[in-house]
Amino acid sequence: MSLLSDPEAAIADLSRPEKWVLGVSAAFALFLLAALLTGALGPTYFLFLVGLAGMYALLSFGLNAQWGYTGLINFSVAAFFGIGAYGSALMTADSSPIAGGFNPLVGLVVALVLAFVLALLIGIPTLRLRADYLAIASLGLAEVVRLIVLNERWLTNGSAGVRGIPSFFEGWPVLSTFPETMPGLRLVVIPGSPILLETSFWRASLNVLLVLAFAGATFLVLRRAHQSPWGRVLRTIRSDEDLARALGKNTYSFKMQSFVLGSLIMALAGVFYTHLNLYVGPGDLDPITTFYAWVAVILGGSGSNRGALFGGIVIVTIREGTRFLNDVALPIDPAPLRLLLIGVVIVAVMRYRPQGILPPQRELIWPSAVDDAGSDPPASGVREQKGGGDDE
Amino acid sequence: MSEGALPKEDAVLRVDDLQKSFGGLAATDHATFAVERGTITGLIGPNGAGKSTLFNLISGFYEPDGGTVEVNGTDVTGLEPYEVADHGLIRTFQTPRKLEGMTVREAMLVGPRNQPGESFVKLFATPGAVAESESTNLAEAERILEEFEIDHLAAQPATDISGGQMKLVELARAMLAEPEVLLLDEPVAGVNPTLAKKLKDQIRRLNEQGTTFLLIEHDMEFVMDLADPIVVLDQGSVLTEGTPEGVRSDDRVIDAYLGGGT
Ligand SMILES: Nc1ncnc2c1ncn2[C@@H]1O[C@H](COP(=O)(O)OP(=O)(O)OP(=O)(O)O)[C@@H](O)[C@H]1O
Ligand SMILES: [Mg+2]
Repeated sequence: MSLLSDPEAAIADLSRPEKWVLGVSAAFALFLLAALLTGALGPTYFLFLVGLAGMYALLSFGLNAQWGYTGLINFSVAAFFGIGAYGSALMTADSSPIAGGFNPLVGLVVALVLAFVLALLIGIPTLRLRADYLAIASLGLAEVVRLIVLNERWLTNGSAGVRGIPSFFEGWPVLSTFPETMPGLRLVVIPGSPILLETSFWRASLNVLLVLAFAGATFLVLRRAHQSPWGRVLRTIRSDEDLARALGKNTYSFKMQSFVLGSLIMALAGVFYTHLNLYVGPGDLDPITTFYAWVAVILGGSGSNRGALFGGIVIVTIREGTRFLNDVALPIDPAPLRLLLIGVVIVAVMRYRPQGILPPQRELIWPSAVDDAGSDPPASGVREQKGGGDDE
Repeated sequence: MSEGALPKEDAVLRVDDLQKSFGGLAATDHATFAVERGTITGLIGPNGAGKSTLFNLISGFYEPDGGTVEVNGTDVTGLEPYEVADHGLIRTFQTPRKLEGMTVREAMLVGPRNQPGESFVKLFATPGAVAESESTNLAEAERILEEFEIDHLAAQPATDISGGQMKLVELARAMLAEPEVLLLDEPVAGVNPTLAKKLKDQIRRLNEQGTTFLLIEHDMEFVMDLADPIVVLDQGSVLTEGTPEGVRSDDRVIDAYLGGGT
């Protein structure tokens, strides 16, 4: 049942939080549209925000694949994000102190390989041990990576960061020159406030294309993995690792797979960020990124892919939506206020909806198998989790 | 070594001179016994006798300080639990384990071993094979739930069913792993008499179909009725072994229980 073919039935089928999220999202979309049309929100900046939302969605997908699926506590989201960002920046930028000038696709591959190796390095010694060891080790790892980036100037340019990063589509046919070849457009929807779509707008839309490709591909992979027997073993481990072991599952291997997968997705977010921002610096490895990713996953509902997506968008909305505070004369700096707001949101969610806004569906069985076996679909007892056929 | 360890031709499980200490306490003290294929073997002994510790040693959860464990003639000492399981030995736990956020049906589907869908690569390389095995397993899970007369629980959240029902689900799920020998740690502890009777019938039926059982149980009536032979453990070592009648009339067994194992 899809929202397009039979909208009324599809909506009636949603659970209450799903309806709520749908309603809020629709209202938010209208608000954004109004802001765009009245010129309060520049279209290029809007696309930048969409890119950021996609980036946070990727980060929370990655963390969700570790914490939400398997219960792995990873406090080095920022390190894997930073490895992805620096890996691709150092391969592609003119100002790179090492390689530089490679095709961004090479940067992408190098970034993923680096994240893979780093995930193994931290996973091998800790994943056989109790859960807290990974938490502690990852906390240390985040700081080690940040300090290396800051201090090893021969490798990373140190505090100056890396400039001169090309767009991701540099060197591609058509797409590399697309922003320049597109004509400048002038749309007048409301008389007196025309909307200008120029080269920068087209460049930003390419970025959105990129992040949609990254996040879309990731979502599809995760969705299939999550509802598979593979995902079921991970959820068993999260709930009771000994039970999984007693039933013949090699839990170390499963935990490693989940950890590596999540780390690669975080690095993917970093690769995108590099080509969005066209500059990376040590500040991009600050632990705040880890904090945001955790908030997004907990807010959305640990273990739920849609929840992670939703949480990622909420984070960007709060982060960027509070920028107007900069213009208002406040007795204190707006930055801590923003964190305070996020803190309040998290406490409220934990208090009133500890499982998160969009927790995972209860029953996850490989979908085609359910049809094959001709068994009736999940019914009573799991009413709330029963979503449309579309969610994870 | 231990008395009563008769030579068994066709042992599915053989424990030889097994030792395990925690600090100064010898929880398992030179334990030797064997479980013959096709039997329901009982393992009894007072609280703290070391029964659960023995299960943990056999199934690979604890590493023994000495001695060996053989499953189907293969030495499995020191192997990981999943490797021991691959040799056909599955165990349950004394305290029921509940899977959060899963329905009973899903929790059942964790049972089958080495599913194609447990390989991340195969999810994308051969989704057809994954779907096929998933539907086979689903049908099998529902068949077993029906046999156990708990198919009405299939869609319930696994955390919302009673302790007794959980014990039934655990047994049903363990069967999906197709064990040759199944170790049950107190299958009827805290289970009401009706469900306990059901469990007994199921164990007997599965045993007739070829599964060997080793079960720990404090409920004497239950174990004496179901198991033969019975191994008695006291202070970490095998005190005696024999038929229910033989064990029941053995003075050393009575002493061990009255003495509280101290
Ligand atoms: N992991 C452990 N660390 C320390 N001591 C342990 C551990 N596991 C068991 N013991 C000790 O070993 C002894 C045997 O315990 P075990 O749980 O095997 O007994 P049991 O026969 O299963 O008892 P019950 O019938 O009460 O379940 C006890 O004295 C217990 O305290
Ligand atoms: Mg015990």
